[in-house]
Amino acid sequence: MNALRAEARVAIAVARKDALSELRGRHATVSTLFFAAVVLLLFGFALGPDSTRLAAAAPGLLWLAIVLAGLLAVNRLHLLETDDGALEQLALYPVSRRAIYAGKALGGFAVMLLLGVLVLGAVGVLFAVNILAHLPVLLLTVVLGALGVAAVGTFYAGITVRLRAREVMLPLLMLPVLAPLLLASVKATAAALGGDPFGELGAWLQLLLAFDVLMLVIGLATYGYLLEDG
Amino acid sequence: MKTRILGFVAAAGVAATTFFALFVVPADVNQGDAQRIMYPHVASAWLAYLSFGVTALAGIGWLWKRDLRLDAIAHAAAEIGVMFTAFAIWGGMMWGRPIWGVYWQWEDPRLTTTALLLALYAGYLLLRRLSDDPERRATRAAIVGTVAAIDIPIIHFSVEWWRGLHQTATIASPDRVLNPAAPLLFVGTLLGMLAAFTLAWLYLMVRRYQLARATDAREEARRLDRIVSARTAEAAR
Amino acid sequence: MPQTTIYVSPRSLGAPDTRPPAVATTDLARLFAGSPALAGVSLRVDAGRTVALLGPNGAGKTTLLRILATAIRPSYGRAAVDGYNLGRDAAIVRGRVAYLSHATGLYDDLTARENLSFAASMLGTPDAAVRVERALADVDLAERARDRVRDFSAGMRKRLALGRILLGTASLVLLDEPYATLDLEGMTIVDQLLGAWREVGVTVLVASHTTERLSPMLDGSVILERGLVTAVSGSGVASTPPSLPAASRPVVVGSPR
Repeated sequence: MNALRAEARVAIAVARKDALSELRGRHATVSTLFFAAVVLLLFGFALGPDSTRLAAAAPGLLWLAIVLAGLLAVNRLHLLETDDGALEQLALYPVSRRAIYAGKALGGFAVMLLLGVLVLGAVGVLFAVNILAHLPVLLLTVVLGALGVAAVGTFYAGITVRLRAREVMLPLLMLPVLAPLLLASVKATAAALGGDPFGELGAWLQLLLAFDVLMLVIGLATYGYLLEDG
Repeated sequence: MKTRILGFVAAAGVAATTFFALFVVPADVNQGDAQRIMYPHVASAWLAYLSFGVTALAGIGWLWKRDLRLDAIAHAAAEIGVMFTAFAIWGGMMWGRPIWGVYWQWEDPRLTTTALLLALYAGYLLLRRLSDDPERRATRAAIVGTVAAIDIPIIHFSVEWWRGLHQTATIASPDRVLNPAAPLLFVGTLLGMLAAFTLAWLYLMVRRYQLARATDAREEARRLDRIVSARTAEAAR
Repeated sequence: MPQTTIYVSPRSLGAPDTRPPAVATTDLARLFAGSPALAGVSLRVDAGRTVALLGPNGAGKTTLLRILATAIRPSYGRAAVDGYNLGRDAAIVRGRVAYLSHATGLYDDLTARENLSFAASMLGTPDAAVRVERALADVDLAERARDRVRDFSAGMRKRLALGRILLGTASLVLLDEPYATLDLEGMTIVDQLLGAWREVGVTVLVASHTTERLSPMLDGSVILERGLVTAVSGSGVASTPPSLPAASRPVVVGSPR
């Protein structure tokens, strides 16, 4: 039990450190949010101006924006470790690798959650979708989706942060794996917005949860291998 | 020598079953001759998934035993697998066009899952290219391969659910053939083709593995050579 | 000053040091892109000694230190720190080794104090707040504790990195060019630390170009050239030549870990 508490403390220390860096100078979160906003605008131009069509496409556009912005966000979280060999130093501390992964994923989750909520609001405004009527369920979906993106993204960012073709490899590796999450999140959102006529909302949310748990377990188990250099 | 025999048997099997599929089996009542693509298509798909399973298992084996031979198996399976995956997708599209009228059908979980499988393979192989150090490369690849393999059933499952409410009959499926009522000729040809293709896969695996090991051995010899010459040069000083 | 896993050097009590060698490597080799940075180093450094690692650029000093720090793995050969095998017991070794590299591993957007506090949480330092302040004072950065590392000079960063080492309980300290980028005061701090480490029996391995300043504090020195040990002098350090193949065909010169 004590060991677990120690690991939790390490994870929180890592997350705090990332949060401090973010708040201080990087403004990565802000630029990611703006990116998501721009993406939504582009969607509007690409699929509009028929608002009925946009409203119908809204769930998909919501999650596309979240996932694409999420790519940037998780990448940046690992870029924080490129300060003067910080990643190598991080790997040298006598702490469990799981704890470092948990800390990074926690930070990623916080960013993704913020992102998701704000994008949800933006979608409600831009595509004339009534999110307030179904807010609790929509928020739950955002929470689950954000968790999945953070878990998977932290993991793959850890793999690609030291690779040469990093900018391309991260999306290439991450997006196919996220396909079920995208699918489930969109279906859940659509179901929620429509009042769940077929009673499928619960099933989709369960799938999301299962996906999240699975990916977190994998990340915790294998992150250690990724931190080992050469 | 044994490998060569395997190769011949596989080639003969593939030729024979192809002949059967093309000329002996009668044309399908509904789909006509187009249905003949089903045989190699299903066989390729089977091997695409088998290969990925091997890649994942061999990767796990590497993480456990740290034996580079397992990594060579994983690499070989991935390369051969991507080939069969591409063929399976192409076959699926060729089959679908005359039946559905379109090349692609989003609601077919097999097609979409296989397409994502191709993407996962591509990521795996590209990742391998970016690393020079054999052990680091093997570790990264093993992890990526394993996660991808775990993801595949999830993808399939989700896509099946996805189309769940729009139960269009999957015309592009071998189910109509693989049931007790189907004539023996159909079933026999399909199973025969599966067997023949699997033999061909095995042959390709063996050859590709041998190639990978030979390349690795050459690399290893080069590295050792550099070290030894450094030591010898120093001793001579 | 330094806290460590031992409390006082047996040698300072006049007793022989019976601990296992701090560093023991066998045919250690490491290649980068096919080229050997280390070609076969068999080195032994006794516990509690301060030993210099000398040699020209590209000799393999940094590579050797990085392997001992568990930052990278060797390509061939074996190594042990305090008797713990680097491959098998890497986690234990990490708890006993402190490494000062060329890169400082500091976070630019955090203040000096925050960087050390983070390090303290990662190292599990007890009484972290007190220890952080003391470390800052020991490296003479107390007045700049609230400033972001981004604004620090190279010398100040190096001092902060040294301060980070003071937060741990290492029994082996690896310093890669500690005097580089430091001014006179900075170098004096390094000298003080070396003296303090010696007193408590911490083993120190220092890679350096300059020997004049170091010599009075050294027990022994090792010269590396082209990835191999070419000379050894002083006490507490020994080396054996790497094994050579009998024939010209390359043979396995050491099991990969």
